[in-house]
Amino acid sequence: MASGLDSFVNHTVSIITSDGRNFIGTLKGFDQTINIILDESHERVYSTASGVEQVMLGLHIIRGDNVALIGLIDEELDNRLNLANMKAEPLNPVVH
Amino acid sequence: MLPLSLLRTAQNHPMLVELKNGETYNGHLVSCDNWMNINLREVICTSRDGDKFWRMPECYIRGSTIKYLRIPDEVIDMVKEEAIVKNKGRGDSKGMRGGQNQRNRPAARGNFGGRAGKAPGQGGGNRPFQKQKPKQ
Repeated sequence: MASGLDSFVNHTVSIITSDGRNFIGTLKGFDQTINIILDESHERVYSTASGVEQVMLGLHIIRGDNVALIGLIDEELDNRLNLANMKAEPLNPVVH
Repeated sequence: MLPLSLLRTAQNHPMLVELKNGETYNGHLVSCDNWMNINLREVICTSRDGDKFWRMPECYIRGSTIKYLRIPDEVIDMVKEEAIVKNKGRGDSKGMRGGQNQRNRPAARGNFGGRAGKAPGQGGGNRPFQKQKPKQ
């Protein structure tokens, strides 16, 4: 089955879930319902009070129901970001 | 690699399951199925706010209520590539279904045909039945 996600496998991706969280990790696999295997993952927690906080998480299976967006990360650009100085409003959950 | 293959490989390993309602369940995975329904043993349930805890020996979680599962890192290195075996299985089962359907349909037609064929032959049987009708 052809899917646009094939080209993301074994690359670093950013996943935004429908509860408004942002997971970064290596996409190791997916299936037809967009269940996702995310390896060496961490969560980026955004706030307006302080810089972006990174929480190490490890190996995850994220259920497809909960996935809102999957983006390919340009690692070179990502490494240049100074997350400690970045402030942003946290995302709101998706309202169904 | 398929997420459900990884989950199957994680059987007998500890894991954290977060549900869509925010509750988390920590326990050892006993079994899982193709819908991500899972059985956990020695479970600690934590409320959404993390302020209440429940211990239970066993629980069953419907797959559709899961947000994500957190699995020990080493499990991903233990996944056996089952893709080929699974495809064979699916192919066989499809073949089986097709075969059963094809067998059932002619059999069903045959049965009806048989009855229809006998009915005219039992004309003698039909007449008394028709006679009985006006009586009743």
